[in-house]
Amino acid sequence: MSENWVLKEDEAIELLALLISSARIQLDEPARYAPMRMLTATERLSSMILERSSDKSREFLQDNMERIPDMRMEMSDLPAYTEGLEALCRSVAECLLRHSQAKESGA
Amino acid sequence: MSEAVLQCIKTRRVVREMTDEPVTREQIEAILEAARWAPSGGNLRPNRYIVIEDAETRRLVRLVSPGMFQEAPVLILICTNMDVVAEQQVPPSDRALLIDVGTAAQTMMLAAHALGLASGPVTSYSKEAIKVILNLPAGYSPEMIICVGRRAPDARPGMRAFKRITWRDLTHWERFT
Repeated sequence: MSENWVLKEDEAIELLALLISSARIQLDEPARYAPMRMLTATERLSSMILERSSDKSREFLQDNMERIPDMRMEMSDLPAYTEGLEALCRSVAECLLRHSQAKESGA
Repeated sequence: MSEAVLQCIKTRRVVREMTDEPVTREQIEAILEAARWAPSGGNLRPNRYIVIEDAETRRLVRLVSPGMFQEAPVLILICTNMDVVAEQQVPPSDRALLIDVGTAAQTMMLAAHALGLASGPVTSYSKEAIKVILNLPAGYSPEMIICVGRRAPDARPGMRAFKRITWRDLTHWERFT
């Protein structure tokens, strides 16, 4: 795993604010909104770390994060929404593997 | 005249992606003037409006508003002044208070559209955080934010409907049998 610092303190606090606010409003919102809130936080985190990320992370971020705004609009199409989330899960797993393999090889 | 109003109603859309092109003070005031004419239960007029143009304040509001995808140049926060509600001995749970927020919101969004501006409502924010950031008076309850600006050229269409409907799907004539 890379030990690069990719998040500034201000950015981390901003992300915390978004996550905490999301936790609160989720008490009043339909359950199906929860994935959207998590995706919004994912998108924000991605935009914060993109420039400082290593190549192996940036590839994942660039390939996948642009899809999130479109996914938000597909919430009413549950099969498409589910498949979009499944695809993101597969992509992030591949990203994890790239990091793990790089660590094992000492790269 | 009436056809123009109907066209305005039918062509307004919720816009979630906006440019940072500024909105003029005259345009903002015209929107607020329209809201003043929105119907209000019992003519109580409990709504109060907070206009936020300052970039840093808008940024802070957005950080505690997970439902705000826009980076709009103007935010108009609709508050219910609970002091007015208490003075008139209206129960705080009276649904008319939220209906008032809705009538004001729709009136403002239509006014914005008539002025050639885009708008979008946001209710997914932390009320407590908003109160702190804006230093709201104790009696002000922040109920809805209207984002106002100009539609980004490449803005995505709004959230897809769960089911395509017409007014007929929503309407029943006379008594149910």
